[in-house]
Amino acid sequence: MARHIVIVGGGVGGTMLANQLVSKLYPEVLREQVRITLLSNSPDHYYKPAFMYVAFNQFFQEELKRPQRSLLRPEIDFQVQEVTRFDFTGQALHTRSGRCYGYDFLVIATGCVPAPERIEGLQQAGDHFYQYEAARQLARRLASIDKGRIFITVSFPQTPNVPHQCGIAPVETTLMLDDYLRQRGVRDKVEIIYTYPTTAQLLRNCLFLQRPTGEILPSIFEQKNIRFQRGFTLSKVDPEQRIAYSEEGDAQPFDILMATPPIRAVDAVLQSGASRAPNNEGWLPTNHETLQVYGLEGVYVIGDTVDLPISKAGGACHNQAPVIANNIAGEIRLGSTCAVYDGKVQAAAQMGLGAGMPLCYDYRHDVLPTPPTKLGSLLRNGFNRGLYWAVARGML
Amino acid sequence: MDATDLPAVLNANPGLDALLRKLQPLLDSGRMDNVVDLLSLSADLVDLLDAAMVEKLSGLFEEATALSWNLGNAMRMASAQTRNEPTPSLYGLLLLLRDPQTRRGLALVLRILNVIGRQD
Ligand SMILES: Cc1cc2nc3c(=O)[nH]c(=O)nc-3n(C[C@H](O)[C@H](O)[C@H](O)COP(=O)(O)OP(=O)(O)OC[C@H]3O[C@@H](n4cnc5c(N)ncnc54)[C@H](O)[C@@H]3O)c2cc1C
Repeated sequence: MARHIVIVGGGVGGTMLANQLVSKLYPEVLREQVRITLLSNSPDHYYKPAFMYVAFNQFFQEELKRPQRSLLRPEIDFQVQEVTRFDFTGQALHTRSGRCYGYDFLVIATGCVPAPERIEGLQQAGDHFYQYEAARQLARRLASIDKGRIFITVSFPQTPNVPHQCGIAPVETTLMLDDYLRQRGVRDKVEIIYTYPTTAQLLRNCLFLQRPTGEILPSIFEQKNIRFQRGFTLSKVDPEQRIAYSEEGDAQPFDILMATPPIRAVDAVLQSGASRAPNNEGWLPTNHETLQVYGLEGVYVIGDTVDLPISKAGGACHNQAPVIANNIAGEIRLGSTCAVYDGKVQAAAQMGLGAGMPLCYDYRHDVLPTPPTKLGSLLRNGFNRGLYWAVARGML
Repeated sequence: MDATDLPAVLNANPGLDALLRKLQPLLDSGRMDNVVDLLSLSADLVDLLDAAMVEKLSGLFEEATALSWNLGNAMRMASAQTRNEPTPSLYGLLLLLRDPQTRRGLALVLRILNVIGRQD
């Protein structure tokens, strides 16, 4: 009987991997010895990093999504289904529509979701750019602020050594904000304060989660008259008074609170019982090298749901997908896994509206920052508008 | 000029020294100007590239890659299926038309011809 590989989640990780699995296992797919199914709860695929640009009125919703089917090879059985329950012992998945899918190999690619409700008052008074609607609301506020104070906070998961989504995003958006307010001609009347919590993964009292980048930030911020403050761990927001409180005992007023909110895994993963992460965050215990979920047979995880110390980023999925494809092929063909993930993540960071900085790091090496350039920004824009879709199709 | 003739200040800088050694053959054969011209052309190109131009080029890239990907996928899957089956009879060919996906594909091809006609 055919071995059934089921991928849950049609984000960047699940989509790339499904396509790469078809090419990797093409002989078996042709002989009908392997079937590949992708289940996702949305008929559309979103290029999530573009939400960041939505906040500055640089991207329309119509430009950042494509029909999921159009990104998948025809050999993949794609179904719009929301998985509500993982039955790991019975090797089966249950969906909201009442269907049940058996699997031989399972890849969990359901990403993560912002959880501003986990900090008192943040949902009511804070803004963020990690989802489309939230980014639109922030865009309306940023387009109309003429004077006042924009306060930027970053919340990390409480699971030790797990970062928030896309580590560089708070820096990128702070620099984009500065440029955007200059374009609008109101920058001199709007104060920008970038803050960072006391604990950032393994570092303390810093401005970024990796030391070399953190060390160059003060000079970049000072040149642009952006204020910065270490040791501000957002604990509570007073929506009436518009004050952000920190665990360290500070209280700061704001007109706009641009937050990187807490995050968590999706409900089905939280309820699966497979996570050992504290604070009900739901990260799956991931083998750093093989990307299998510890304690489960034939189950892999990709992307934002992992508990790895590397960025929850598309650039991480890009390097994890080939490892999982090779390991599943190895299990099918040789009886054991054969590829190892080295923690590599690459990106082109948007360091302001017209400057970009390509970056790369892995488990053992931090990002070595280089001066942001116009070419870097053009590369990033080309990726946003075109290259990304070839990456999702597994072509690049 | 030989690399050993370089002033001491250049020899003391290993990076510059290595670069000059690489450039020496170009200087000797008088082709260095071409390299400088190329650099200035790429600088002009970067100047030409703004957000709108990148958007257009990226759109073209996506259209071209998506089209070749779709056609490649269709060819690969169809030829694998055809290879696995005996040559169909005329009736067998008609039976293919009973599959709704075949009819959708056929409708797509006919519409493409229609639009080509319209643009002609
Ligand atoms: C504002 C912003 C900026 C970013 N910037 C960058 C950047 O510059 N560079 C970079 O590399 N990364 C960036 N990222 C991060 C990147 O977008 C994510 O890391 C990436 O999308 C994670 O991929 P994923 O496949 O794990 O999850 P996702 O892309 O989130 O996909 C999860 C999928 O699972 C589906 N799903 C969820 N639950 C279920 C269920 N129960 N049943 C079925 N389907 C389900 C969802 O519909 C979705 O399709 C950014 C993210 C944001 C939000």
